[in-house]
Amino acid sequence: MSNRLDLHFNRNVLLAVDDSENARRAVAYVGCMLGGMPGASVTLLHVVAEPEEDYFARLEEKQQWLDQYRRRVDAFLEDYRRELTGAGFPADAVKTSAPLRTCPSIAECILTELDRTRYGTLVVGRQGLSRKEEFLFGSVSSRIVGHARNCAVWVVA
Amino acid sequence: MAARWLAEGRRAEDLRIHTDTSDFFALDAGDIVVLDGRPYLIRNSIREGRFGLEDEVKHWVKRSIDLANGAMRIIKLVFYERFTATIGGIEFECFRSPRKEARILELVNDHPNFMHGRSAEDEKGNVVRVLEFISGVSLAAHVADLGQDHETYFYTTLPGILDNYLRCIEAIRFLHDHGEKHGDIRRDHILIDSDSGHYRWIDFDYNYRHRENIYGYDLFGLGNVLIYLVGKGDVLLPDLRLRDPGLLSRLTDGDLNIVFHNRLANLKKVFAYVPESLNRILLHFSRGANWFYEETPQLLQDLHEARADIR
Repeated sequence: MSNRLDLHFNRNVLLAVDDSENARRAVAYVGCMLGGMPGASVTLLHVVAEPEEDYFARLEEKQQWLDQYRRRVDAFLEDYRRELTGAGFPADAVKTSAPLRTCPSIAECILTELDRTRYGTLVVGRQGLSRKEEFLFGSVSSRIVGHARNCAVWVVA
Repeated sequence: MAARWLAEGRRAEDLRIHTDTSDFFALDAGDIVVLDGRPYLIRNSIREGRFGLEDEVKHWVKRSIDLANGAMRIIKLVFYERFTATIGGIEFECFRSPRKEARILELVNDHPNFMHGRSAEDEKGNVVRVLEFISGVSLAAHVADLGQDHETYFYTTLPGILDNYLRCIEAIRFLHDHGEKHGDIRRDHILIDSDSGHYRWIDFDYNYRHRENIYGYDLFGLGNVLIYLVGKGDVLLPDLRLRDPGLLSRLTDGDLNIVFHNRLANLKKVFAYVPESLNRILLHFSRGANWFYEETPQLLQDLHEARADIR
């Protein structure tokens, strides 16, 4: 029993982010709640959804797009990492991860990353979509709340 | 080969033959396009009208004749278009994808509820689609032209239309099961084939950068078409204001279409004989909805049950 608890309830936090204001708020919240707490560690995750080939007129444009996107992701992940260390996390307790994945659903990709590792808590920002936006395009945080298992989910609104 | 199709006074030796279709404006009526060694005679560009707007000439879509057998074909040339679409005030990124349409054509080549055709690359690698011509009217025009009053339509004509529409939704499920979206589901993108009677989806070259729910926009389109069919047209607030001001005062915001706020979704408030089971489906596309369809099987199951309630 205690082993199962160790697996699911620990101080490892997976913080799923993008470059939105909501994600920035989630980072600030984690810094405020857990910064300086012994044993707490954070992985900042941004799943890079592989763009469909259809999106590009020529296939070589896809690599250019990805390179440009990667640079943007690296920049905001580094920014968030600095914010967390500034909030009291030791440097070796904050990691960043930006895997390239084929993602029909970003939420499912995030949950897959969670399953592959030993994180007790998943933190996401809430986009604050309107009803019709949620209807048309879906909500990452709603889907995560609906489908996450064996972890705690914090949704920062 | 082309001589019998030429306009009077035009000589076969004057024909212009294209093997590179990159500049679709350069392809004029009477020119020949050769794809995979097969010649097509261009007749004219297609016009598309929509919702009372003036016809728009689609210069990249050419009515043509397959000179090998005389069959009429629609040739869709490559037109990469990327733009920000706005639906109900929400912006999202759309683009045309010849590759997507070519892929789906291959996937649905023997499916009765889709347009058929094949793709061929021209000498510059442009993915050109050669489509079989479908003779018939759009579902939108068919319903708009019916002369019946709503109640007669509801009990005598709608059941048959719904049976066909259910097959159209099954067809969209088939796409989704294969990881594809239609991308532009509209009531004028279903043609009623006058030869076979089948309802057939057309124009699936649109695509969009989806967010969380890859198929949400397709489901939105399916819901809009369903509301249009049950209402025998859009039931618009300005019309109700003129026709039945008393009814208008009984409506709430929750009765309106979730995206188009001048259209009624809760049709039972206007047509009392719409069964609860059918109206409940429409309400899932209303502003008052607290649960949305995420997948076509959910909609299909409910609609099959509701169809059985219309007698």
